[in-house]
Amino acid sequence: MKKIMQLLMLSCKKATELIEKRSLIRLSFREKVQLRLHKSMCDACTAYEKQSKKIDELLHNHIHDTDMEHTTILKNETLKEQIINNLPNS
Amino acid sequence: MEDIMDISKPDTTVKCWVDLYSDKMYSWAFHKTSSKEIAEDIVQDTFLAAFQSISKFEGKSEPKTWLFAILNNKIAEHFRKQFRNPTVTESQSGSSLFDTLFDANDQWIKEQRPKEWQGEQAHLLDDVAFVKVLQGCMGKLPINWMAAIQLKYLEEKKGELICQELGIAPTNFWQVLHRAKLQLRKCLENHWFKK
Repeated sequence: MKKIMQLLMLSCKKATELIEKRSLIRLSFREKVQLRLHKSMCDACTAYEKQSKKIDELLHNHIHDTDMEHTTILKNETLKEQIINNLPNS
Repeated sequence: MEDIMDISKPDTTVKCWVDLYSDKMYSWAFHKTSSKEIAEDIVQDTFLAAFQSISKFEGKSEPKTWLFAILNNKIAEHFRKQFRNPTVTESQSGSSLFDTLFDANDQWIKEQRPKEWQGEQAHLLDDVAFVKVLQGCMGKLPINWMAAIQLKYLEEKKGELICQELGIAPTNFWQVLHRAKLQLRKCLENHWFKK
């Protein structure tokens, strides 16, 4: 039993790594069991997961904000001229 | 204005697009890369690519949407380059970050254990002060960690595909993301969320 537990036990560092891995790639069956077991005993990593998802959502919306509500529009006339001058056949 | 959808005269059309959209595209590229020179290069490249492939623009989408798709590809390309070329110090900052959070057994150091954040706001990104904190924290990340974050969220692609394009093993990518997230989380907690 002790051996099985050792096999399934994750450190908090490894658990947070799996939490991040999962947002990118499917976990293996073993990793899923390990993570679930770890979280059932660890409040800190449970809180970490919740906060990690929150940060994911914030980053996603922030990085995708192409409406540019929060971006100041910068004028760059020199760049305009440069682009036009560098276009082929012009 | 009629010219903006007319691809039979690429010269006039692209010039018209430059006039209409280049400031917005430049601002977006600058917002993403925080560098004037890089942003200018990227916008320049985007228009060149648009000019060369204008026959593929079928007028099904707005020119602005089409141009921004090319622009975002160029920005992703830039971050792929940054991800691939980390500087020496960055691997060191990884281990020292772990040391500030985890003990010798890789368990959370007592004071660092995450606790639920209290009183969370619903629309945080509408809060200018928060966006400033978020940008500040992102700015403190090592360049290739930041690149990994940008790549993950900029292109809504599966992790496997991002890694394929980067030509790296997935392990490599999520381990960088892991560090980036740990640091970002800590920074946001210190500057915004109260335990």
